Amino acid sequence: MDKYSRATIREFMSPSNIGHIDDPSGVGHITDNADAVELTFFIKVDNGVITDAKYRIAGCTALIATLSVLSRELPGKTLEQALAIDMNHLSDVLEGLPESKWRCAGYAIQGLHLAIDDFHSRSA
Amino acid sequence: MNKVVYLDSAATTPVDPAVFEEMRPYFTERFANPMTFTHSSVGELAHTAVEEARERVASLIGSKPDQVVFTSGGTESDNWVLKGAVERASRERLHKPGHLITAEFEHHAILHSALALQRQGYEVTFIKVGRSGIVDPDDVRHAMRPNTVLVSIMHANNEIGTIQPIAEIARVAHDGGALMHTDAVQTAAHIAVDVNALGVDFLSLSGHKFNGPKGVGILFVRDHESLYPFIDGGGQEWGLRGSTHNVAGIVGLGKAAQLGKQRLPGELTRLTALRNRLYDKLASRIDRIAPNGDMRQRVPQNLNIRIEGIDNEPLLLAMNEAGIIAAGGSACNAQETLASHVLTSIGCDLKEAKSSIRLSFGYMTTDNDIDYAAEVIPGLVRFLRSMA
Repeated sequence: MDKYSRATIREFMSPSNIGHIDDPSGVGHITDNADAVELTFFIKVDNGVITDAKYRIAGCTALIATLSVLSRELPGKTLEQALAIDMNHLSDVLEGLPESKWRCAGYAIQGLHLAIDDFHSRSA
Repeated sequence: MNKVVYLDSAATTPVDPAVFEEMRPYFTERFANPMTFTHSSVGELAHTAVEEARERVASLIGSKPDQVVFTSGGTESDNWVLKGAVERASRERLHKPGHLITAEFEHHAILHSALALQRQGYEVTFIKVGRSGIVDPDDVRHAMRPNTVLVSIMHANNEIGTIQPIAEIARVAHDGGALMHTDAVQTAAHIAVDVNALGVDFLSLSGHKFNGPKGVGILFVRDHESLYPFIDGGGQEWGLRGSTHNVAGIVGLGKAAQLGKQRLPGELTRLTALRNRLYDKLASRIDRIAPNGDMRQRVPQNLNIRIEGIDNEPLLLAMNEAGIIAAGGSACNAQETLASHVLTSIGCDLKEAKSSIRLSFGYMTTDNDIDYAAEVIPGLVRFLRSMA
């Protein structure tokens, strides 16, 4: 395992947007006992644009830091733009996330995608 | 460097200044090769130092000096005894591949050596261990086969510190005609280790776990004829272990053994009290916390706890930010992203294993260190739990 960057440590020690949205437009939930991950991802959508993103998380450092970055980037993005965010980009913001951690950090993106799916099924 | 509270002594310990002082001349003016003692006055100085160290280590474990064979450390000793003793008994006594019994929660030096033997056609049984973290001698008895040549069970587990009933297991091994080895890397100089009381034929220990240098250890060998050499070379160590003696390291190990023996009774009491105090404080400040493995039959320097609802990785990193160094699994597999094999072998599920940390203590650990840890860790647990 490589070492985490200072940016990752700083991010996970003071994460942005922890919490929940009272009246969410979409919610994504992931439980993975093998990875000891429990994630709930909330989005608020207005006119096809994400206006707020929050999450509750029990999981590893990489996932906490990745969620924190992702949640800050989402407001103002269309759903299409949100779906285009990938691990390469989030890893860059974290000044290089060790590759061995990408799988676990990827739950952040999965959580967002599930929340967007949920939004679509609610509005269908 | 900022304040560091080092609670990872089971991974390694600092060299005691007195040990370092004793080693120093053997890097410089007393540099000679001890094997030249027959014709060299400087060689004799080195030879005498090596033999004095041998006596000191023998005194720590209650053996004869000529049963102490110097190695590069615990991993080499474990590799050597498994491969050297199983092969010799198989070839010379059984004339067919023998059977080895060990436990699922052994150090990787044992587990991977056992797997290497298995690849070569030897039979291996890995005993399961229950929640207590203590091997049941009856399980060993049931695993014995007519061709069992060696039983290897660690004296205390390196992650959870539980002490194994080695004397009883050694009787089971001997009753079945097998030899007995114990890896005493976590117990030597921490609790009483006496090769005769334990009834073992082989015992591994490593200097750096009790304030000696890294890169030096021993294998106690009761009978030189019971195993093949592992490192073939010159005639060092009765031809059992080739390679020029690591004189400074051996001198350091000897000094650490001497100091360890002197300090043992006091340290056993002090560290037990310190460990229990830390657990009591943490348990009173953190709910849903439990020790892994039996708390009474445990080496004084080990505390392994699981804290429900947190992942040990961010906790350890947050502790590190606060200057507290501890461990998840053992240092040897800190690079694994998987849960500790020790914790899963004693019945923890993956989630429990990943919510566990090991805090381990040594001669350098102070009351202040413990108070600081008891003060800081609960806040970090609250921080992590507040995200869920």
